[in-house]
Amino acid sequence: MFYRTSGQFKTSYTADMALFPVRQDAILLAVILAFAWVILPLTASEFAFQTLLIPILIYSLAAMGLNILTGYAGQLSLGTAAFMGVGAYACYKLVTIMPWMNPVVAILMSGVFSAGVGVAFGIPSLRIKGFYLAIATLAAQFFLVWLFEKWAWLYNYNASGAIQVPTLEMFGVTVAGPTASSHVQYYVVLGIVTLMTILCINLTRGTLGRTWKATRDMDIAAELIGINLMKSKLTAFAISSYIVGVAGALFVFMWRGAAEPNLFDIPLSFRILFIAIIGGLGSVLGNYLGAILIVGLPVILNTLPETFGLPISSATVEHLNIMIVGALIVFFLIIEPHGLARLWALIREKLVIWPFPH
Amino acid sequence: MKLWKKLAAATALTVIAGGAMAEGLYAPNMAYRTGPFAALGIPLMNGQADYMTMLNERDGGVGGVPVDFSECETGYSTEKGVECYEKTKGTAIVTQPWSTGITLQVLPKTNVDEIPILAPGYGFSPMSEGGTFQWAYNPPVSYWDGAYMIISHIAGGDMSTLKGKKIAFLHLDHPFGKEPLPLLEKMAEEHGFELVPVPVGLKEMQNQSAQWLQIRRERPDNVIMWGWGAMNSAAIQEAVKTRYPMDQFYGVWWAGHDPDLAAVGEEGKGYKSISWSMPQPDSSLMADIKKHVIDTGKTQTTEDQLNSVFYQRGLVMSMMLAEAIKAAQEHTGKADIGPKDLRWGFENLNITEEKLAELGMSGMVPPFSTSCSNHTGHSGAWILEWDGSQFTQASDLLQADQSVIKPLAEAKAAEYAEANAPWPVVECDS
Repeated sequence: MFYRTSGQFKTSYTADMALFPVRQDAILLAVILAFAWVILPLTASEFAFQTLLIPILIYSLAAMGLNILTGYAGQLSLGTAAFMGVGAYACYKLVTIMPWMNPVVAILMSGVFSAGVGVAFGIPSLRIKGFYLAIATLAAQFFLVWLFEKWAWLYNYNASGAIQVPTLEMFGVTVAGPTASSHVQYYVVLGIVTLMTILCINLTRGTLGRTWKATRDMDIAAELIGINLMKSKLTAFAISSYIVGVAGALFVFMWRGAAEPNLFDIPLSFRILFIAIIGGLGSVLGNYLGAILIVGLPVILNTLPETFGLPISSATVEHLNIMIVGALIVFFLIIEPHGLARLWALIREKLVIWPFPH
Repeated sequence: MKLWKKLAAATALTVIAGGAMAEGLYAPNMAYRTGPFAALGIPLMNGQADYMTMLNERDGGVGGVPVDFSECETGYSTEKGVECYEKTKGTAIVTQPWSTGITLQVLPKTNVDEIPILAPGYGFSPMSEGGTFQWAYNPPVSYWDGAYMIISHIAGGDMSTLKGKKIAFLHLDHPFGKEPLPLLEKMAEEHGFELVPVPVGLKEMQNQSAQWLQIRRERPDNVIMWGWGAMNSAAIQEAVKTRYPMDQFYGVWWAGHDPDLAAVGEEGKGYKSISWSMPQPDSSLMADIKKHVIDTGKTQTTEDQLNSVFYQRGLVMSMMLAEAIKAAQEHTGKADIGPKDLRWGFENLNITEEKLAELGMSGMVPPFSTSCSNHTGHSGAWILEWDGSQFTQASDLLQADQSVIKPLAEAKAAEYAEANAPWPVVECDS
């Protein structure tokens, strides 16, 4: 009834191959985009911007980068946070060496550095697979964080060893630094994330995406039908690291404002991996759903007792929060091991045939 | 779609929540009673909270207005800290960030949001330059003061005796641990001692065998430790294991946590920690705390914490906040002050011997006063020594030579302002 697809005929190949062959999907997306671009920015408080909207978008982007590599190309990586770090430090060096540079250009360019580093650490993937590759990417994680600590040039020889985001302007508007307004930062993040999402959806639907999926499903078979595995794996590493690097630059420049090397340590890698797994490997939508669950939900839960005036101490709330989120992760993985994106796909399927299931 | 709706609803909720908070003066504390550093956090947070509860119970708050000393749990995570800052900044009169990481993060924002930061005994040493860091306060001493005082205690007051000595600096490889390095390097050059920095990575905190092997090989005359959390107890145990002479081992004030030393007991005898606070179990303040807070059960404090260094340091921290509120109330003539008024209060703190006696806190903290050009106060500190069962005072009040520290602080503050331009800087008259 809500999702009736009958009567929507496709009369050409183009219509059949369209991004949203079902009209309701397009409407739903339009509503979501209207929310993201217009309604939320108009209604959200400073707190919501800084703790919900901006971080969820940035984490989704990072998870999307990882999803290209792990979900589509099947190469397990534990070095996501380190590649984010490369993006963040590259962006910091770019804007401090060339202060006249447009910050958005700097952010997009910093991904290039991270892509380069990603490819370098992706080379072992040509010889090793699965858990062994995970260990190789873990080496990237340890090595790069060590480098962020020891290579003082990276943080401009600051005594504290941390990077601080300078105030950056673009067309007369402050976009980064303490005086930047949350609205501006939100729109910059949203713009970049939207752009990257369109890129990802189209990449994964095209030739490149298909070669990745073939590599993931069975690399020997893929090689036999003429896919160049080296090209397939290394492009996956490059594009994945590019997106992750951009996410890292956004993470520090549009949200945190300062970063110390250990921020890019394993816990962050795991967090992003969890977002990708719980959201659903091999999907774009899943990254958003996963980020809402893992990043957004704890923040919302934290505010609940206060909203309802329950006299619970903040430490207890924190303990409860960890338990509830943990239980939810287990719950979602039990009802749908393929992640939230698959859960949504099932719901949608049910809605399409509702109320007459066959 | 559903999740987006939820998100929107939550957003609306938080807007409402923001308005519904705070009765009296809202002075939130970014506590960490969970996470890897909880063991050290709990006694400190308890001390802070108990002092405010005591004022609320005994005097009905400060200047007749109760203080809402709610906690916002961070688990020592920078991300949660920023969440707390955003949540509280609308109504709070002060930010107590409680970690160097969160301080670094929040410092630039306070200029814009105009909320004072109170970071007693931690944060960034150049914060003492009030002209540059108008909204940040780190009374009563900075890390650089602490490093200077430890060196001067090693020298026995005569810096020329340092010549040819070898001093190892065991520190956490983190902004906090690196903080005293610029000063120590400068002093090493000036007084001709050799400084051996021994960094301990965040991941290696609990396994320092490599570091202590290096210390054993280098045979330094002294070891200075800038550690926090699990790093301290691990270092003390390694020192005992490698038989490093304990009386040559110094720690920063965060490395003087009673349970860390109690774990080694007699073996730890002679270990020294510099401290700007001293437990005074017989003070009249402690009697009031017992009467109004502990006996009425309005606390999470346990009996064995009461006389520990960290618990009573928590009391001192809250005293500074309460005194700043008082000063601001007297200055503005109104009881319900805002963050801007409190900033004035912090800048004009005057903690004298008489004042401490009046508060029942004689000997708990050295007297100090702040001004525009001096946001730290530079009270000086004592050396505490572990006697096998507790910390005892082992020196007179030490002072850091500001003629050495001030130029360095000025240079670093200017550097910070330049790197973060445009950064508002004012000239100080006093």
